[in-house]
Amino acid sequence: MENSNTEDGPNASSAGTAMAKEESLILMKNIWKTYQMGVEELHALRDVSFQVEKGDYLAIIGPSGSGKSTLMNLIGCLDSPSKGTYLINGHLVSEMTDDELARIRNKEIGFVFQTFNLLARATALHNVELPLIYAGVRASERHDRATAALESVELGDRTLHRPNELSGGQRQRVAIARALINNPSILLADEPTGALDSKTSVEIMALFEKLHAAGNTIIVVTHEHEVAERAHRVITIRDGQIEKDERIK
Amino acid sequence: MRLVTSRFLENLKMAFDTLRGNKLRAFLTIIGVVVGVITVMLISSIISGIQLAVEDQIKSFGTRSIFVYKMDIGIRFDRPSREERMRPDLTLEDALALRELSEVETAVPFLNASSGWWGNATIISANGKQTSNINLTGTLPEISVAGTEVVLEGRWFTQAEVDFKKDVCLIGETVKETFYPNESAVGKTLEINGREFRIIGHLEKKAQLLGDQDESNTIYVPFGSALRIKPNADDVFIMAVANEGRIAQAQDQIEDLLRTRRKVAFGRPNNFSTATADSIIDQFNSITAGVAIAMVVISSIGLLIGGIGVMNIMLVSVTERTREIGIRKAIGAKQSDILIQFLIEAGTLTGFGGLIGLAIGWGLSLIIALFFPSYVPYWAPPLGFFASVGIGIVFGLFPAWKAARLDPIESLRYE
Repeated sequence: MENSNTEDGPNASSAGTAMAKEESLILMKNIWKTYQMGVEELHALRDVSFQVEKGDYLAIIGPSGSGKSTLMNLIGCLDSPSKGTYLINGHLVSEMTDDELARIRNKEIGFVFQTFNLLARATALHNVELPLIYAGVRASERHDRATAALESVELGDRTLHRPNELSGGQRQRVAIARALINNPSILLADEPTGALDSKTSVEIMALFEKLHAAGNTIIVVTHEHEVAERAHRVITIRDGQIEKDERIK
Repeated sequence: MRLVTSRFLENLKMAFDTLRGNKLRAFLTIIGVVVGVITVMLISSIISGIQLAVEDQIKSFGTRSIFVYKMDIGIRFDRPSREERMRPDLTLEDALALRELSEVETAVPFLNASSGWWGNATIISANGKQTSNINLTGTLPEISVAGTEVVLEGRWFTQAEVDFKKDVCLIGETVKETFYPNESAVGKTLEINGREFRIIGHLEKKAQLLGDQDESNTIYVPFGSALRIKPNADDVFIMAVANEGRIAQAQDQIEDLLRTRRKVAFGRPNNFSTATADSIIDQFNSITAGVAIAMVVISSIGLLIGGIGVMNIMLVSVTERTREIGIRKAIGAKQSDILIQFLIEAGTLTGFGGLIGLAIGWGLSLIIALFFPSYVPYWAPPLGFFASVGIGIVFGLFPAWKAARLDPIESLRYE
């Protein structure tokens, strides 16, 4: 629907690309993100363009300050670009209001954070149910789906535990179950193993591979090469620009 | 609609979870609201109690009764003005003239022959006891029609006893208790300023308000007899009884007639006043309405302080839970979702305070009811509860708005 809107919009050329690459899950075209620091302008992203196809497993890697966090926030619809066009699953995100962005985050994006970001007071089940609450799903259905999601990450026996009663790896699996509960287009992970020991990291990465094999599109933002190597495609960011974009599998 | 309710219940559940997680803080926050609601409950139940008692007492004078007096009748806090005190007295003849009116069934004069403010005490003694502190009233047999006094034992005096100024009397319950506490007083005698009066009746105890003068501390004697006891008595109060359902017409007729008899010039205000049970109740209600407004103001202060406490704690809560807000936004909460969540939380907090206040206030007013006429009016609990919830929502608005406006990226980074 958004595609037809862009046809006669100001971004006619990028809309043309969008039409051509209609299959792309993510389409970023000439994205700029500029922060105003006093009188100076700081360009966190300069003219970034790339596409991600459905079912891909992509790692975004780069040193701190490279702009990869900014890019992740844009992909995750937590923020809007200063300039450029961003389409996710056919939705033109770059011109959305805050509430529309919230809806996209709810339906299209599943976040996995470095520090898990679970609600401390809520049980694992309630944490997983949260996105469904905001999606307006009825309580009984919510309960069933959240239970099933926890079972799929092998936490079926931990549904009523609170985060502080779970290990780091278990918490991250709760977070993954939460990320997947609404069948999002993308699983977006920000340093997913950053707070885990190496053994647990391997488990989580194995889970990611399993999810990818099951057809999920995964984007991992990281600075660890071991994590990036698990992906099928790696984009390297430096100084706000794409330095390298290579398919490794 | 179903979705909205389910979302609301979900928020309510989350709010309860949060409050349970911060019991002490929640309790301290709502003390102001609790106190405010208790105030509303107590004052409203006391006012309602007094109101009911006053209505009962005034109604006991009869719904057909019209009171006529030279000074203004009703509940007053000022002293009668000089003009009022200088007005000519009503007379026995006035009362008899009122009886001729078509809408008036009867009219009864009450001559006050009690002890005056200065000197000439009316001394009453019997059975070895003596007092001057009794209301002595001269009246006519038609008082039985008025129905304001009920004869418990004995009878009213007859027209003959009035015509011949017989020394007979009826006594109120308090007078009986004073002189003949453990025996029937009817047939006994008592002395009024040295004259011996035969007691021919004993009256039922009258309804009484706390602190009000004792209506049962009264002796009724025939009108003429009262004048003989106190020849200079001139303070006459008239009670007229209107035909059934014609009280307004009767009141008009009475005023017209008395204006003529008392030669009030056209266009001048009455130099007497008339009142009915309803008009006095109305007057009383307008006073209690004023008190009720004062009550609202006073309890508003409590609720306001409670509200500021709520705002303060909600602001702290929003800051503390910045990260939670970030998480919720990341997984799809809209600004309105966050706003509603915090509003419901604030409303639940104060609503809970309101319920505690209602429980305590109700308990206290039950205790007060043991000593004082009071009852909780039907409107007080819902008012108290909804005012509490409203306070939470109003004072929660700013913190909730702040929470809703938080930037998700900043919030997720917040430690």
